[in-house]
Amino acid sequence: MNRLLLLSLITALLGTAQVRHEDLAKGPGNDWLTYSGSYNGWRYSPLPQITAANAKNIVPKWVYHVPGTRGLRSSPLVYQGVLYITSGNSIHAVDARSGRLVWQYADPRAKESGPNRGAAIWADKVYFTTSDNYLTALNRHTGALIFNKKFADVEKGTTSTSAPVIAKGKVIVGSAGGDGGMRGFVMALSADTGAELWKAYTVPAKGEEGAETWGNLLEWGGGAAWLSGTYDPELNTLFWTTGNPWPDYNGSVRTGDNLYTCSLLALDLDTGKMKWYFQFTPHDTHDWDAQSWPILVDTEINGRPRKAVLHANRNGFFYALDRVTGEFLRATQLIDKITWAKGIDDKGRPIILPNSEPTPQGNWVCPSVKGATNWMGQSYSPNTGLLYVLTLEQCGMYYRSSQDPQPMKNFSGGGATEEGGQVVLRALDPKTGKRVWEYPMTGLGRMWTGTVSTAGNVLFSGDDDGHFVALDAKTGKNLWHFNIGETLGASPITYSVDGKQYVAIASASAVYSFGLFEPVIGVDPPVIEFKKEGLN
Amino acid sequence: MRALAPLVLLALPLLAQHGRYLSDSNHPSIGDPVAIAAGTKLFMGSCAGCHGPDGGGGARGPNLVRRSLWHPLSDDAIFQVVRKGVPGTDMPPTKLADDQTWNLVAFIHALTGPASSNPVPGDPAAGKAVYWGTKAGCANCHAIRGQGGSMGPDLSNVGGSKPLAVIREAIVEPAKDLYYLGNEAATVVLKNGQTLRGVAKNRSNYSIQLVDSTGVLHLLQMSDVKNLTLSASTPMPTDFATRLSKVELRDLLAYLAAQDARAAESKGSPQ
Repeated sequence: MNRLLLLSLITALLGTAQVRHEDLAKGPGNDWLTYSGSYNGWRYSPLPQITAANAKNIVPKWVYHVPGTRGLRSSPLVYQGVLYITSGNSIHAVDARSGRLVWQYADPRAKESGPNRGAAIWADKVYFTTSDNYLTALNRHTGALIFNKKFADVEKGTTSTSAPVIAKGKVIVGSAGGDGGMRGFVMALSADTGAELWKAYTVPAKGEEGAETWGNLLEWGGGAAWLSGTYDPELNTLFWTTGNPWPDYNGSVRTGDNLYTCSLLALDLDTGKMKWYFQFTPHDTHDWDAQSWPILVDTEINGRPRKAVLHANRNGFFYALDRVTGEFLRATQLIDKITWAKGIDDKGRPIILPNSEPTPQGNWVCPSVKGATNWMGQSYSPNTGLLYVLTLEQCGMYYRSSQDPQPMKNFSGGGATEEGGQVVLRALDPKTGKRVWEYPMTGLGRMWTGTVSTAGNVLFSGDDDGHFVALDAKTGKNLWHFNIGETLGASPITYSVDGKQYVAIASASAVYSFGLFEPVIGVDPPVIEFKKEGLN
Repeated sequence: MRALAPLVLLALPLLAQHGRYLSDSNHPSIGDPVAIAAGTKLFMGSCAGCHGPDGGGGARGPNLVRRSLWHPLSDDAIFQVVRKGVPGTDMPPTKLADDQTWNLVAFIHALTGPASSNPVPGDPAAGKAVYWGTKAGCANCHAIRGQGGSMGPDLSNVGGSKPLAVIREAIVEPAKDLYYLGNEAATVVLKNGQTLRGVAKNRSNYSIQLVDSTGVLHLLQMSDVKNLTLSASTPMPTDFATRLSKVELRDLLAYLAAQDARAAESKGSPQ
């Protein structure tokens, strides 16, 4: 013993356990329970087994090929030895030790197809949204359907791609589709029944405050909320980012700041009421959605301790705001090449440079339409005190079309192309906004991989050419690499089962899990008997 | 519509199914009871001689239900086969008008499409009582929207994912389906002496993923297993054809056909 007895006792105890608010609020341990691991968006794990010293001994442990998929965007969850991964309109529960499928649920009749960024877990249910806006709740043990709730209409231009966030029994979902004309929103549904609790639009209705910052396109203004956000339990506040105004590249038909697009919204969890907003890119014409993680860190900024929210924006600047009040504290340059703005003024507004708008002939602007960073999972390590952000040094051409905007017709009012560019993983000091180290990558600027950092001072991420890598979180030194062989488009996580630490990442078509090398011992198959009847 | 019942119910068992209905036509005949009834008459008159009265195949024509699920054909492709025949085989071209041909396609679609998208005979309300009652005892092992047992497959979307003929076959002839991996009744004796009973959701020479009779998942290493006993046959009772009356079976099928993860969304709890 008896390890086996102990193990089965633990299994029996764990089997009946339920994921509670306190478990989610505590952040990762052996499990990884939300997209970012924790409500504050850190993607940081206290697991210490894999270290900068032993990372060279990492080997693949298993691969789960997700049937019929390519371009996976999902960040897995892990709860009590089961890993949950989403793909398009399906979810798969996999034994996190062996990669063996436990169950899968697919909704092949979804009217839309598209990326899905992951699942959520609460009590004994796992949740995901289909691309055509059904919140689906399943029994975490068996995959049996508990409820299915449609929360938005594809017919109104809205689809769903983000991983839900669950806080205090509320499932927070968002809205994708902002590049084709729609009205963005964030919504809370009951985790028990799927019933709507509140809905917060990201673009005001006619007559509401902020409507004066638009022309006639208010109803189709965009401001999609296609990435989940973070949550501060103490302030009971959700921090959610919004996408670009529509039509993307033609600002002449929507004069004004176009509130609340390209912004960070602070919403009350109980009511959805907006506590404050901060708009990074007023009147955006470069498709620079604000979808990048709002990281909640308490730190000293400008010599004063602050409850800060850090935000590396697609527009090229790295912001720090006071997350209690929304006060602008500081902005520094995230990337080297920025040509559209001279800087950010002391109110937080960009100081625009001339000749940076899209034109019928095209205008060359930095950063490119992909942005200086994007939705890739960032990581903040309390061990090193550094924030790790994937950045892209890339410029591109922006074109404006003079056609009349037509919603729901894939019309974006112009277009954009980009040069090759280079991905650079940067470690930033939240206190100063300055770079501490850089890790430049080889590739074509096509990756969407994020990061995870650990107590072992290892930072996991993906090279822009399909390698999964481990870096020294203090210095950025490359410690280990593994060629997965296809473009990486999702963020890694780490978890532990039976005292062994694993690191998992979805590639384009599969989930890989890695751990430290140990010999694989041959297994004598047990005695298997087949009985005709009366087993149970 | 009642005329259709025996045909659909007699359709032969299926081992696997694919997304045949993902390429559904938008033609108004599909799912239209009048068109299906008209198609039934045409089929009985012109097709049943070779394909069998239930579409299950005969001496000269293949099984349409099984074949259709294994090798999915769109409604439009079926239309073309009916119209043009299959050169080099006994399947002749027809001279039916477009609307008559679509009636036939609607009938074949009803044979093979998800039960919830086709007219189904019987009384779902009466079938609900059968399902949750003790005589059939379905809920002992199967769940619908979180209520019921966890030993058998979840039935919340059974009507939205399987043809009526497949559902019927699973009830009255469950032992015909030989592929049980994922649904094996299993008893596991661990080396520590503990015994677990349930359903093996998956297993290999190295691990077994077992949901026990209380619905709890156990992830086991084979190296910890001393003895594994598996049911050589389905754990599903095999006497429903006699246990239930014809009317009870028909109504039960009508209730199961209505279980659709999407359509039932607004209907609330099954009980």
